[in-house]
Amino acid sequence: MRRMTLTSLTVAFTVVSLLVALAWAQQAAPPSWKQGQPPSMADSTLAPIPQPPAPKAPGEIPVDKIRVPPGFKAELWASGINNARAMTWGDKGTLFVSSRVAGNVYAVVDKGGQREVKVIASGLNLPNGVAFKDGTLYIAEVSKISKMPGIEDKLDSPPAMELVYDTLPKDLPHGWKFLAFGPDGKLYFNIGAPCNICMPPDTHANLSRVNPDGTGFEYVAHGVRNSVGFDWHPVTKQLYFATHARDWLGENEPSDKFDVVTRKGQHFGFPYCHQGDILDPEFGKGHSCKEFVPPLIKTGPHVAGNGVEFYTGSMFPPEYKNRAFLAQRGSWNRSEKVGFRVMMVTLRPGAAPKYEIFAQGWLQGQEIWGRPVYTKQMKDGSLLIADDYAGAIYRISYQR
Amino acid sequence: MRSLAGVSIVLAALVTIVTPARAADLEAGKRKAEPCAACHGADGNAMIPGTPSLAGQPVYFTHWQLIKFRDGRRKDPQMSPFAKSLTDTDMADLAAYYAAQRPLPRPAPTDPAKVAEGKRLANLHHCASCHRPDLSGQQQVPRLAGQDYDYLLRLLSGFKAKTASDLDGTMTMAAQPLREEEIVALVHYIASLGSQP
Repeated sequence: MRRMTLTSLTVAFTVVSLLVALAWAQQAAPPSWKQGQPPSMADSTLAPIPQPPAPKAPGEIPVDKIRVPPGFKAELWASGINNARAMTWGDKGTLFVSSRVAGNVYAVVDKGGQREVKVIASGLNLPNGVAFKDGTLYIAEVSKISKMPGIEDKLDSPPAMELVYDTLPKDLPHGWKFLAFGPDGKLYFNIGAPCNICMPPDTHANLSRVNPDGTGFEYVAHGVRNSVGFDWHPVTKQLYFATHARDWLGENEPSDKFDVVTRKGQHFGFPYCHQGDILDPEFGKGHSCKEFVPPLIKTGPHVAGNGVEFYTGSMFPPEYKNRAFLAQRGSWNRSEKVGFRVMMVTLRPGAAPKYEIFAQGWLQGQEIWGRPVYTKQMKDGSLLIADDYAGAIYRISYQR
Repeated sequence: MRSLAGVSIVLAALVTIVTPARAADLEAGKRKAEPCAACHGADGNAMIPGTPSLAGQPVYFTHWQLIKFRDGRRKDPQMSPFAKSLTDTDMADLAAYYAAQRPLPRPAPTDPAKVAEGKRLANLHHCASCHRPDLSGQQQVPRLAGQDYDYLLRLLSGFKAKTASDLDGTMTMAAQPLREEEIVALVHYIASLGSQP
C-alpha cells in the first residue's frame, strides 16, 4: 500500500513536471520590465513611468517646490535639455550632459549668467555615460565607448566620434552605462543584468574598467544587477556605488543598495541574494547571503538609486566635506511612490553611515513633476542636480 | 481597502502624467498636419496600404517617433526629410492633433483561422502588457488595433530582423521567437480589431 502511494506520487510528480516543462516551453518571455512578476500580481497596474518626449518649459518647472536644508537655496540653472542625465565638466568650463532615450549629448555653456544648450551628438544608442579627460570627451552607449578629442573648441561643429572600445554586450535592458575616470586613470562603467531577474551570462551584472585607449579590459565587481552611479571616496579612493534592486518581490523589498568595493572581484549578490539578507525565491536556492558582500546601506525599496557623488567643495558647511550625495530617480514598482529626492551619506569610522534627505519635493503627494537623476559639483562648491523628467538642471547653493 | 486606495492613486497619477509638458495647440496641429494628409489622411486615417494611420495614437508615441525620424534613429524616405524641419513645438502640436482624431479600421484580410491563431499568439507573447488588452496603446506605446495590415507586417518583420527602430529594445526582443507564419497570424488578428476609441 505504502509502496503504491509512493509510486503513484512519483508518477504524479513526473506528469506535473512534464506539464510545467511543456507550459514553460510554450510561454514566450514577457517584456523585461514585467519579467519576474508573480501570477498573483498579473492584474497589477504598476508600470515604468514613461519618459516625456519633450523637456518642460521654464515656466512649467516649479523649482520653489524643491526643499533643501536651512541656509541652502535651489534655483533653476538650465532647462530645455531633453532627458538630461549624467554630467561632466570640460577643462574650459563646458558642462557636458548625457541623455538616455533622447539619444543626445549636450554641451551647456554659461554666457554671462545665461545658459546656452547645444546638441553635440544625436541619434545615439542610450548614451547615458559621459566622462572628460585631457581635452577629450568620452561617451558610453550601450555597446561601445567613443571619444571626441578637442571638443570644447568645436562645440558648434563637433568632430566625428572616434571609437575607443566596442567589445561590449548589445543587450538593451540595463544596457545603458554610467562612465567615469577612476583615480587610476581608467574608464569605469557598468554592464547591467539584461533582465529584471535572471541568471545573467558571465559577461553581465558587473562593474568593469578599460584603459582610455581601449586596452586592458577587466571586471572590477560581480553580482551587481545594475549600477548607473558611482564615485571614489576623496580620501580612501575606494569605489562606492548605488545599485537598483529587482522588481516584483514586494512593496517594501528588496531595498536598493549603496555599496563599497574593498577588493577587486568581489561579488555583491545578484541574482542569488538581494539587499544582503533576502535569498531570491528562484535563484537563491542552495545559496546563503553570507557568500556575498553585504550592503553598506539599504537605501530603500524601489527608490531607483542613480547618481553617486562625494562632496569636495568648500561652499557647503564643513560637515558636508566628503559626504556622498545619492540621487534617487524614484519608484514605479510600488503602489505608493518613494524616492524622487537626493539623499546624503555621512561615512563614520566604526559606526553605521548616517543616511538622510538632502533635497526633495519632486514628488507632491503621489504626483511627480521631476526626477532627480545625477548630481555634479560646480567649481564654486555649489551642486547641480539633473532632472531627466523635466529636462532641467537645478543649482543648490549655500549662504552662511 | 488600503491597497485599493493605493491602486486608484496610481491610476490618478498615470492620468496626470499623460498631460503634455506644454499645452499643445490642436488648431496649430491641424494646420501643421496639412502636408501629412496626402499619405496619412486629413484626420490621420490613411488609405494607402503600407502607410500607418495616426488617428488615435497616444501623444507620446507620435512625438517620440518624430524625434527618432529627426535624429536618424528611425529612417524613411518620406518621413526622414520631413521631420528634419520640425521643431519640438511642431511635434507636440502634431502629436496632440492626431491623438484627438477618431481612428477608423483599415481594410484587412481576415482569415478566421489566422485571426484565431493570432489572438492566441498575442496572449502568449504578452502584447497586452504594454499595448493594453484592446491593443489601443498608451503613453509611448502605439495603438495597434485596426492598423494597416502591410504596415504591421513590415514593422513586426523588421523587429524580428533587428532592423526596425525600437525606443528601448522591447519589441526587438519580443519579435525574436516569432516564426514568419506566426507574424502573419498576429498581423491578421491585430488588423482585424475594430478601431473603436
